[in-house]
Amino acid sequence: MELSVDRLTKQYGRKLAVDCVSTVLKPGVYGLLGENGAGKTTLMRMICAILESTSGEVFLDGREVTSLGADYRDLLGYLPQDFGYYPNYTAQEFLLYMAALKGIPRSMARKRTKELLEVVGLNDAAAKKLKTFSGGMKQRVGIAQALLNQPKILILDEPTAGLDPKERVRFRNLISDYAAGRIVILSTHIVSDIEAIADEVLLMKKGKLVLQGTVSGLTKQAEGKVWELAVSPAEAKIWQEKAAVANLRHEGEQVVLRILSDSKPAEEAVSCEAALEDLYLYSMHG
Amino acid sequence: MELFRLEHKKLWRKNSTRICVLLCLLYCVGVGSFLVYQWTIYGSAKENYGGRNFDGYENIRSCQDYSRKYEVLTDETLQEWVRNFKNLYAQLEEDRKMYGKENLETVHKVGNSDLHTVNGWLRTLYPELERPDMLGVTVMSDYVETEKLIGLYERRDKAVDTFLEINNQTGAERDYLLRINEKVQEPFSWKWTEGWSNILGNTVSGLGTVMALFLAVVLSALFAGEWHDNTSPLLLTTKNGWKKLAAAKIQTGIAFTLELFTMVAAGTIVLQLVFLGTEGWDMPIQMVKMIAIAPMNMLQAEIYEFAFTLLGAIGYAGVVMLFSAFCKNHVAALLFSLAAAYGPMTIHNRVPVFMEKVFDLLPLVGSGADVFRTNTFHFFGHYIWSPYLLIWVPFVIGVLCLFPAVRGWARRMRV
Repeated sequence: MELSVDRLTKQYGRKLAVDCVSTVLKPGVYGLLGENGAGKTTLMRMICAILESTSGEVFLDGREVTSLGADYRDLLGYLPQDFGYYPNYTAQEFLLYMAALKGIPRSMARKRTKELLEVVGLNDAAAKKLKTFSGGMKQRVGIAQALLNQPKILILDEPTAGLDPKERVRFRNLISDYAAGRIVILSTHIVSDIEAIADEVLLMKKGKLVLQGTVSGLTKQAEGKVWELAVSPAEAKIWQEKAAVANLRHEGEQVVLRILSDSKPAEEAVSCEAALEDLYLYSMHG
Repeated sequence: MELFRLEHKKLWRKNSTRICVLLCLLYCVGVGSFLVYQWTIYGSAKENYGGRNFDGYENIRSCQDYSRKYEVLTDETLQEWVRNFKNLYAQLEEDRKMYGKENLETVHKVGNSDLHTVNGWLRTLYPELERPDMLGVTVMSDYVETEKLIGLYERRDKAVDTFLEINNQTGAERDYLLRINEKVQEPFSWKWTEGWSNILGNTVSGLGTVMALFLAVVLSALFAGEWHDNTSPLLLTTKNGWKKLAAAKIQTGIAFTLELFTMVAAGTIVLQLVFLGTEGWDMPIQMVKMIAIAPMNMLQAEIYEFAFTLLGAIGYAGVVMLFSAFCKNHVAALLFSLAAAYGPMTIHNRVPVFMEKVFDLLPLVGSGADVFRTNTFHFFGHYIWSPYLLIWVPFVIGVLCLFPAVRGWARRMRV
């Protein structure tokens, strides 16, 4: 299975939300990174074929996805960023409704619903109305509905938003187990989630796909560009303005800055091990 | 089917749906039927006409007993009724003179005597006997000369003819209407009429006006509500997508309309049977309005009016679903839907006759009580009596609205 994105572009008036993005996705987990407004959601919607592109196409095994119609949608699982739900439905009823929309037979739907509610840790709340759910619980219902039809292509827009750390770990494990032989695309601001489960990272900036590669491969690109520098609090403020500071922590009287720079920013700066987040911030800053 | 079942369940899960159904039942069955039968219309008059007693059930039986003796409407029975009425009226006058007030029992007897109906007949059939100086002073049956009440059915035919002429319905149109009138069977059987008059003139024919409000509130959110719930990205990425969902929503809208109608109609019919029974079902509708031309009895007219309401409600549901599919905001869809019914209803009497007739064809705007009228539509040289069209056209309009509703929704769902 191969999902090809070919020069996909979306223009709203004079603004290019997605600018000629091309990539080829094979089974695996793809983490889509980018700041707000980078075009991640727009790209995902076009891949889902619910948003018409201004130009460019998406192909599944060589066939344009909109021409596949219901066959394509049958392979698709999607969790939108603003996950809409029916407040008066219970979690179970909502999943059964979504299962019917996905064309899953009733008996199978009941079984899958029960399984998924357990998987996302909501079996005790299955009979409660969605309007009584917390944000995290609703998000878990959203993840469950995306998995109902055991999709070959799973697209999750900010799936970990609102999840507590324990649930995030549960989610990461779930996706890791699930991803075998499937294409999973997830967008998030939480770089550690992507670091933990993504096979490949797609980095978007201002509508363009600026980087693509494995976590380790991309992290290598940041090597030699991450520095630590201990300064006084007053100097720290100056550094924050003139350099890309990824992090700062207080150690006694001093502040230790994590600076992203092509060259050694100061004599006292010490090179340190790069992480994906460093590359992300470096790319965003540049 | 599963999708329809779940969509239907979703509609009924909404508080707004449940509240609307409850209010609709309370208004149509509770206020519109129960209170009318037991109190506001059929309760016996209180002393000095100070309102009505809560005794409609017993009072209706007295009314039915009073009229039962006449059996058939002829010159003789009409004269007999007028004589009996005059005696009762004279007794009232005597009581007033002797005791300074009327005897309540006699007041009830007068009230239970089909007073309004028979005086309606007298004014229609014997206009020359009406005294302008007595208008507003007393009823015609109080002073009319009994022996002059003859030739009732000939006079009815003449009254129909005169009415058509006054209405400017001449030539082929007149002939067409008179051909329908020829099928009216004479003589008319006579039971208590005012119960049926209210059922056909107000109760059943008014159901659609009330149902329109609640149908609009519930169904305007059927499609547009998906925008409010922000579910379109989810729905569009499912295998059954918008197409089968749209079909399920339309089935749900129609099913809800049928359910609401069934509840309202069943409640109305049960109360009718409890309070009025079935007596008089075979009377011709001419007993309610003498110059009606339809060869129908009361039961047939009631079936027509219920069918009119049902088909009109389905038609209106189609219109509401169209607005719901085209508006992203369900409040806007609701306002457009209400305007589609209540707008034409409000300006109905202020527009030219041609427009009035067009408005009548809109779902739930016309009235099932047109079976009592002589309105026609003129198409390519052919005249069609209005009830034939009024029952089907609103339904067809609703069905035709469903196609653009599905297409429009599909187009707008693309985000």
